Amino acid sequence: MLRIAKKINRFTATAAVAVALTLGGGSAAFAQDGEYAILMKTLANPFWGAMGLGVEEGAAEAGVAYFIQAVESDQAAESQLNVCNTMLERKPVAMITAAINSTNLLPCLKAAQESGIKVVDLDGNLDPDILAAEGIEITFRIGSDNVAAGAQGADYMVSQLGADAVGAILVIEGLSGNITGQKRASGFADRLAELAPGLEIVASLPGDWDRGKAATITNDIMIRNPNLLGIFAANDGMALGAVESVFAAGKGGDVVIIGVDGNSDAVKSIKSGRLSASVAQLPYLVGKQAVENVQRALAGEDVPSNVDVPTMVLTQEILAAGTEPMLEFVK
Amino acid sequence: MSLLVLSNISKSFGPVNVLHHANMSVDAGEVVGLVGDNGAGKSTLMKIITGIYKADAGDITLDGQSILHLDPGERRAMGIEMIYQDLALAKQQDVASNIFLGREPVKSFLGIIPGMVDKRTMDRKAQEMIDRLGANLPAINRPVGTFSGGQQQTIAIARALTFDPRVVIMDEPTAALAVREVQSVLDLIRQLKKQGIAVILISHRLNDVLSVTDRIVVLRHGRTEANLTTSQTTMTKVVSAIVGGDDMEAAAAHESAG
Amino acid sequence: MSPQPNAVTKPGLWRRAQIKSEERLHVRLESLLVLIGLGVIMSFLSPYFLSVSNFLNILLATSTIGVLAIAATFVLGSGGLDLSLGSVMGLSGVAGAFVAVNLGLPSALGVAAGIGAGAAAGYINGKLVTRAFVPAFIVTLGMMGLARGLALVISDGRVIYGLPSALLYLGQGRPFGIPMPVIIFFTVVLITHYILAFTRFGRYTLAIGDNENAARTAGIDVATHRVILYTLSGGLAGLAGMLFMARINSGDPTAGISYELTAITAAIIGGTNLFGGRGSILGAVIGALIMGVLQNGLNLLAVQSYYQIMAIGAVLIFAVFIDQYQIRKAADT
Repeated sequence: MLRIAKKINRFTATAAVAVALTLGGGSAAFAQDGEYAILMKTLANPFWGAMGLGVEEGAAEAGVAYFIQAVESDQAAESQLNVCNTMLERKPVAMITAAINSTNLLPCLKAAQESGIKVVDLDGNLDPDILAAEGIEITFRIGSDNVAAGAQGADYMVSQLGADAVGAILVIEGLSGNITGQKRASGFADRLAELAPGLEIVASLPGDWDRGKAATITNDIMIRNPNLLGIFAANDGMALGAVESVFAAGKGGDVVIIGVDGNSDAVKSIKSGRLSASVAQLPYLVGKQAVENVQRALAGEDVPSNVDVPTMVLTQEILAAGTEPMLEFVK
Repeated sequence: MSLLVLSNISKSFGPVNVLHHANMSVDAGEVVGLVGDNGAGKSTLMKIITGIYKADAGDITLDGQSILHLDPGERRAMGIEMIYQDLALAKQQDVASNIFLGREPVKSFLGIIPGMVDKRTMDRKAQEMIDRLGANLPAINRPVGTFSGGQQQTIAIARALTFDPRVVIMDEPTAALAVREVQSVLDLIRQLKKQGIAVILISHRLNDVLSVTDRIVVLRHGRTEANLTTSQTTMTKVVSAIVGGDDMEAAAAHESAG
Repeated sequence: MSPQPNAVTKPGLWRRAQIKSEERLHVRLESLLVLIGLGVIMSFLSPYFLSVSNFLNILLATSTIGVLAIAATFVLGSGGLDLSLGSVMGLSGVAGAFVAVNLGLPSALGVAAGIGAGAAAGYINGKLVTRAFVPAFIVTLGMMGLARGLALVISDGRVIYGLPSALLYLGQGRPFGIPMPVIIFFTVVLITHYILAFTRFGRYTLAIGDNENAARTAGIDVATHRVILYTLSGGLAGLAGMLFMARINSGDPTAGISYELTAITAAIIGGTNLFGGRGSILGAVIGALIMGVLQNGLNLLAVQSYYQIMAIGAVLIFAVFIDQYQIRKAADT
């Protein structure tokens, strides 16, 4: 008898230790009334990390209870759905979600809506048409305006090359089929055609958000167009890949290279004069404003269905001056 | 007419000819020793009998019927059993599962769903067979890998005897056993003979072969070198046939000593 | 042969309970206790854990991985390996959605296409392993890439959204309040448990994994048996793909990435031998539930996902450690 008790003890003890260990890193174990549930893609990425921070600090300032969850990677679609369902068990008042794709959270969001929980689309991952087909009405969508971000990139490109410039431009798109990348690329292309018709986009290729792939594309295009004037990449990671190729080819400084995101690697590269500029999203601000707007909606105030958080162009001068008020949100 | 007859069996693996027109036969209630040097083709010949290998040429008959076209399972069903040197046991399965592997009795579950293996019957019969062999296993429902070498051999033998075999082939059954265990294997062979079962014994231990067999077939370089009646032969003659006459004296002396 | 001087002692209560559990349920008592223990701990730690809706939620979350773990159990039990499970699941979801949505064919054909695509991938795996003698690791690793790529090609890299309502019911229907995927999962568990534990087919599967030569000498057609096992594995992966597809109302070409490893983990926690010869469907289900309960509890406690990954890794090592400890102790006595 004693032997069994000892064995069972060992199992439970080990399991308890495992749980205790994991609890060390967790937040409040017990829920309170009126919690906000926040479901991110993954925190293993500075962009989402900054957005998570914005949510946390926004909630702290507003004095609301919240709990935040994420999954192991930004491809764990089913995992995220399961986590979402589990979060509903805590009966939050609002569900702020950054869905991995446009459909993976649908059953959970539907269930949330049926229990009267407010649903928020963080960073615009949901497709309005699909939401309409499913009968899901989200409270609001919040995020950067990606078309505007692309256009800001074109503005800066033209400011550097001149409206009368004539030459070749390369566009590196995101993952093929991804809506965010498409919006940035088209925003850039449309504004460029408007401002400087002499600048021709000689290639617009998918870099799949991959730094190495972007570097390869840049190499290939520079062989075809040795006098390349500018590169616009749909995120900073790819822009930094392009930077490496351009400098390795001995053309550093001759090509204007612009990324999107404003992440810390990009900031470093801009400060050291390699990357020309990055159209910074302000994920911290997105997170913070999401919480603030939920609070407003819960209080019965009107909240626009589409909340655009501004983006800003980071350049060496702006970073050196450090006077731009929005810089405090670049994390 | 002999029970099992192998005639003119040839087999090669790629360019290597292992058997050339090998012949042998065994009668019901007869014990035949099959001896030969390493690489003489003994195991290959036996695997051709059980159907694991296909012969390139020649014929095998049981009761005058050719069994060449039958697969291993069908040959076993006709009463040809083999106890392999490595015992061919599934070590993580229990005793009954090994004894009945490939021949499990089946009933229907709740009288509707077919194909349920009748484990209770298997366990009962397995226990009976183990008891009949006079062996003592600590428990029948344990994985056979947890048993000793001698106990595992018992299980392999039990598997060969459970389904009323007509021919039992034993490949080096005594090679890995202690002296006391060797004696019980030899006793078992004599018992099988009394029951009218034909036994083929492959062994390097010529003393064992001479003490228990009726006839000795010698394979050399894949050919049937000699077919000796045990009562009319000697260790020297057997060894001479195995090594082909050269260095016979030395080899014979070595065998007698060992 | 001869009687061993083995003192036959009456086994203790713990040992007898172990034997009962293994014989009756084909489940290791240890894994069952770990599951129950986890449940008890979670009930104390979170007030939300102990509720019918949360239990259904755990079962729903476990249903896809559970079906894949069953597939893994069959293949691992036979000494094989199927690394293509997750990709095949993704391919099946896309194939099913493509037939039902893009081609506009009846839902039943969509399901048939999904499960058929999985079974076909499994059949190819099996043929290559047994007839072309390419190691299972390589064959199924290759199939992992082939199936994923094909899923992306068919779907053009995008989710295929908007299934007909009959298909949706498979994933979102709740007869008697129980989610359809859970009902389908349980049905599959009952059938496959019967097959593995009680039929000749199941016994041959484990015997082949234990000692392929012994199986062959016992007259079992090992090659054909393996082809059937890989086909079954692919078909089950296809079914898992259907369940997930119906749940999210779309065929997602990225569904199931790295699920094969989770499924294999569940099977091993449940007592399947990574190198074949031993395996249990109920064990695999318990393994999947251990991970499901752990994940659910940690989510309810709002523990960060990084720690959850660590916890699952620790449970895997712990479960296999207990297993090896018991085996060594059994060998010593």
